[in-house]
Amino acid sequence: MSDAAGGRGGGSAADGPARGARSTAGSSGAGGPARGARATAGGGRSSGEDRGRPDYVGAISFLRRFRRGLDAGLDLPDAFARGAVELPHDARASLAALLRRLDGEYAEDDWGFDEELADLAEPFFEFLYDRWWRVQAVGAARVPAHGRALLVANHAGILPWDATMIGVALLREHPLPRHPRFLVLDWAFDLPFVSIAMRKLGGVMASPDNARALLEQDHLVAVFPEGVKGTGKDWSERYRLQRFGRGGFVEVALRTGAPIVPVAVVGSEEIYPKLGELRPLAKLLGAPYFPVTPTFPWLGPLGMVPLPSKWRIEFCEPIDTSRYGPEAADDRALVLELSARVRDTIQQTVYDNLVARGGAFLP
Amino acid sequence: MAGRRVLITGVGSHVGAGLAARLEADPGYEYVGGVDTRTPQLALSRTELIDVDLRDPALVRLLPATQVDTVVHNQIVRRPGPGMSPRAMHEINVIGTLQLLAACERAPTIRTIVIRGSAGIYGAEPHAPQFFGERMTGEVPPRTRFQRDVAEIETTFDSYARRHPEVTCTMLRYQPAIGPSLDTQVTRYLSLPTCPTYLGFDPRLQFVHERDAVDALAAVVARPVRGTVNVAARGTIGLTRMIRLAGRQRLPIAAPLFSTAVTGLRRAGAFELSEDFQRLLRYGRAVDITRLTEEVGFTPRHSTLSAVEEWARQRSGPRPLRPLVAAIAPGGGGGR
Repeated sequence: MSDAAGGRGGGSAADGPARGARSTAGSSGAGGPARGARATAGGGRSSGEDRGRPDYVGAISFLRRFRRGLDAGLDLPDAFARGAVELPHDARASLAALLRRLDGEYAEDDWGFDEELADLAEPFFEFLYDRWWRVQAVGAARVPAHGRALLVANHAGILPWDATMIGVALLREHPLPRHPRFLVLDWAFDLPFVSIAMRKLGGVMASPDNARALLEQDHLVAVFPEGVKGTGKDWSERYRLQRFGRGGFVEVALRTGAPIVPVAVVGSEEIYPKLGELRPLAKLLGAPYFPVTPTFPWLGPLGMVPLPSKWRIEFCEPIDTSRYGPEAADDRALVLELSARVRDTIQQTVYDNLVARGGAFLP
Repeated sequence: MAGRRVLITGVGSHVGAGLAARLEADPGYEYVGGVDTRTPQLALSRTELIDVDLRDPALVRLLPATQVDTVVHNQIVRRPGPGMSPRAMHEINVIGTLQLLAACERAPTIRTIVIRGSAGIYGAEPHAPQFFGERMTGEVPPRTRFQRDVAEIETTFDSYARRHPEVTCTMLRYQPAIGPSLDTQVTRYLSLPTCPTYLGFDPRLQFVHERDAVDALAAVVARPVRGTVNVAARGTIGLTRMIRLAGRQRLPIAAPLFSTAVTGLRRAGAFELSEDFQRLLRYGRAVDITRLTEEVGFTPRHSTLSAVEEWARQRSGPRPLRPLVAAIAPGGGGGR
């Protein structure tokens, strides 16, 4: 017991400098309240992020005691429990959580969303958010805190990193955070591992039926009406919004009475500057496109590391659709008009934020 | 007032026998007949067993003689197995249904026909809706033989329904059933020492508990509605989670090698997975049961999760990790 306490104490001491560094980095990022939230978050997650020497020592003595317990003729669970006394509290909790998941005791909702896993993945996305892309989020509080709502964003950057960053922005900056669901191109659900990751992190196959069902269950849904046209556009086309499909997202919003929140993302265009594409290869793989960037496919998997551009995400004022009534969804003129209005809002906000951001890569 | 007269095909199956037992116990049903060449798994008291194969033309004579007002067609074979070739399965499903409906044409007393079909008609696709509604068929061409068979059964039934507006025709689309007394493809799969899965895929699956399967059928017989109705438990479960709950191990196989590996294992006599089930293991499927709960007025008692859990409690092996979790969880009482 005393050993375990010592391990924990050592752990927090080793944490000191690391946490200091984090708040310095934070000061160049978002505003005050967010920084406060980050410091608390960092404090709670000491064992997950800063795997320092004390944890390592703890693991060794855990194994040693575990083996001694087995040698002494204890049952596996008892020996395990005896060894676990040596582990710091946090490490014990994570080990228990891991074993519990391996035992099948975890929750997935009807859509396959696994909140626990999404929370586990968060430190990685937070690293990208804070350090890699230094995201500044504006107006997150404009997103309705409860009930259905449709986030409509511009889409860029080959891989859907923008969707994950919108998610982190909401979790971090919104007073009542919640996990948004994303509508994802069906192609992703035919890919090994990608299909699991998408589903578990809140992705849902993009279709009007799914969008409607999600909104009717009062979820927060993010859509990218540009679709592949947005992610697959050339470097020279950057920040020029593509056609917004046929306005299907407006129809769904009208039918369910969900407010539309336009979201402008700046920075995602620079993460993979697409110079060209290899059509035959895309055809062969059944992919929507096969991009050529300065690093991909030349550097192999390393070429998939996104460039560290600087990002800004702005959530605009929600557009109320409930006043038109659900029948308005059949009014093509209104649907197209609203679709154009949302698109113009996002395009204008993208331009404003491009100016506000300054340089694409340097602070 | 005379009670209802019901004829059930496939009464030798678990669901068929269960329905017959349920109707027998209800004095509102004056006559219960059961068609099957197999003997029922339950002891039935007043059900008249008619030992005839659906493909046998004698049915055209026998059915009108029973003077029934309701026919429940329950003999749709869902998996090829030992002693059941794909061809025999196709014949029972398609020709059997054709023959049964032809016999119904000759029976003027009929007011209701209920077919226990399969949600297999929706297939399992990467771009499938997360919950199939009853209207959402035919968006992709059928891919497997069973799917084509089910589609053909539905088409035949549809055209019968159009020609006989006086008959209430209900097509039930069942998700695979699971339960301790069932021997289905799912329960066989979960009883394997290691369960082959697609590497990198963890689909959402949905089942119906065996008792709910019978209850839903009884509810529809009592209160038939026109058209198609999905039958399934609430909610879904991930394949990985299901296998872990059942205390089994996964055997992930890369997608291009999967069917070869499964064929090899079948040749070795280990087990057989139908083409439909293989697609289910890759993409999964879930259906929307709003029509069942609101129009038929039947709410399944089990969710998909609780149905799987119940099966696991009664049939699965030990779960080796469980005591370890209890032992080391902080504050869980284990340790000192």
